[in-house]
Amino acid sequence: MITKSVWRHVLKIQDVLPTLLALVLLGMWSFPSYALPAFARQTGQNCLACHAGGQFPELTPYGRLFKLTGYTMGARSMPLSVMAVLDYTRVRNPKDSTGVKDTVDFHKQGTAIFDVGSVFLAGKITDNLGLFAQATYANYDHQQDNGDWVGHLSPDNTEFRYADRFISPGSDLIVGAFANNNPSMQDVWNSAPAWSYPYVGPTFALGAPASPLLDGGLGQDSVGAGVYAYWNRSLYGELALYKTANGPFGFLHPGDNSGIARIKDGAPYWRLAYTKAFGPHDLMIGTSGLVAEIHENNDVNQPTDRYRDYGLDAQYQYILDPHTVTAHISYIHENVKWGDPLALGYDNASDTLKELKIKGAYVYNATYGASLAYQQTTGSTDAGFFGGPADITGNLSGSPDTTAWIPEVFWTPVQYLRIGAQYWHYTKFSGNSSNYDGFGRSASDNDTLFVYVWGAY
Amino acid sequence: MKTAVYTMLALAIASLGSGCVNLERSRDIGNPNVSGRTLALQVCSSCHGVDGNSTSPAFPKLAGQQEAYLIAQLKFFRGHNRIDPAGSEYMWGITRKLTDEQIEGLARYFSQQKDAPNVAGDPATVAAGKAIFENGIPDKGVAACAGCHGAMGMGKDTFPRLAGQHANYMMKQLHILSETNQRPAGAMMKPLVHGLTSADLVAVTTYLQGVSPN
Repeated sequence: MITKSVWRHVLKIQDVLPTLLALVLLGMWSFPSYALPAFARQTGQNCLACHAGGQFPELTPYGRLFKLTGYTMGARSMPLSVMAVLDYTRVRNPKDSTGVKDTVDFHKQGTAIFDVGSVFLAGKITDNLGLFAQATYANYDHQQDNGDWVGHLSPDNTEFRYADRFISPGSDLIVGAFANNNPSMQDVWNSAPAWSYPYVGPTFALGAPASPLLDGGLGQDSVGAGVYAYWNRSLYGELALYKTANGPFGFLHPGDNSGIARIKDGAPYWRLAYTKAFGPHDLMIGTSGLVAEIHENNDVNQPTDRYRDYGLDAQYQYILDPHTVTAHISYIHENVKWGDPLALGYDNASDTLKELKIKGAYVYNATYGASLAYQQTTGSTDAGFFGGPADITGNLSGSPDTTAWIPEVFWTPVQYLRIGAQYWHYTKFSGNSSNYDGFGRSASDNDTLFVYVWGAY
Repeated sequence: MKTAVYTMLALAIASLGSGCVNLERSRDIGNPNVSGRTLALQVCSSCHGVDGNSTSPAFPKLAGQQEAYLIAQLKFFRGHNRIDPAGSEYMWGITRKLTDEQIEGLARYFSQQKDAPNVAGDPATVAAGKAIFENGIPDKGVAACAGCHGAMGMGKDTFPRLAGQHANYMMKQLHILSETNQRPAGAMMKPLVHGLTSADLVAVTTYLQGVSPN
């Protein structure tokens, strides 16, 4: 699967070793060794109690219960945490068809950068109420008219959760309610979109030309509330309703409201899961869905597009010191019925999009880890929707079909710091393996090496 | 939608107004007024099982464990006198604010739970383990485990019950006891374990995991 030229590209990592070393040292310097994030301070436990093999944000069975019981286990403590990602991105071919370097899509090509940083206000408020609020500073948030990039601090995943647990030998019922700004943020399995792989990824690289609404499409654009129940650590059910995060909830949305998705009425979101633990094994099989009507061009006076997203997912974990094995699979089927496809310039009255994500990981001693992920996007052909040929970012076939293999290795020298390298290898991009953009660009030209230092305090 | 969010906020304010306390179902390890039993159900059960019969061998079974042993270990964790990695990573923090009374309540709760039978090993290994447990290995100076842990491995006072315990957990503890000083209170085990081969340890722990005296 990995071609010779890809290997040559991987071997270029030696060019970045000095930079990587500098990143590591900076990371070490930035985060004192006694540091523990807010939740760990609350329970007093090591990160690996809640995160499988220490690989945040993947939750252990205990981590899931911590979240489902409203972040209320432990004793109230300093509820503040910070997180930062320093990274390096190199796309295999950053030049357009004329040989000129594309400095917009591949800005910061081959340069180590401070990418994003977050501040968290998180923890137990009362015996039943907890908070997870994240604000993220993107150092390369957007471009000014003169082309300069500017950083911006924006609200990120934010959730209030109220939970109660009725438990006695033979019976265990957790019930709760939540309000947040990202459908599936409330989920405790990492096969659900909000906390799914990749947990960190390149800012300046190309990705699949489309993804389902359920996979982050309403993140920070919506505000919703829901209720859930988890019975005997076996059956989980959840129902929520999302609306546009504007008006009094505008603080949950980055920037002004000009670009916010205008959801008509409420968008229902549901989730069902069955879980089973046996020995050190833990299994979940689930399904979720989101139905939304969204005004075209974010204008409430325009017709609505009707999204119907249905997902199937599963997670397997084996956690027994010193070994951690985890596997996730997620399949989302989306059907969109366009309100006015003619005005939008689309070819079809409705389109489908299918997204498959599979990932397996192994971590030894919560320190050394490797994972392999496979992501495949397929769907109906709609040249109008995908815009036709254009150098690098175009789509000659009008198809969303994109396939990527993502091997990754990572090292967690101390629990609050992870250093990793992932490689995105595209065998198909926007419908083709070669000349996908109509200007002769191959899918593998978008292959991306991403090296990161990720720390939290 | 607004109603739902406002309801959440109202619940939040109401629970703040009511003093933030729900003693019957609290998960607050920093509140001395929450009973040990409540903490056992609301917090400890997450890993050790609601009735002390943990599903994962990563976490020891506590059902039917000796009350005195549980009290001693919880105090060791709280006082950082047990420094094995799993102990410090998971248990130091969670016990750091427990009162003696809470510890006694926790120990009482789990010691009174009924042990659920664990997975039995293959007969040959079990037989070998049973022989070592009951008779020791006199040639190597290994004393019979049953001498302190009881004929059926039920333990006594601060000598832990081993019957029905996860073999994987016992193996890890035996390595810690024999190769480190991370469990000072178990120092007496060091010379005893040294005389046992890896196969002996597997045999003994396999045997004990399958013992179900209840």
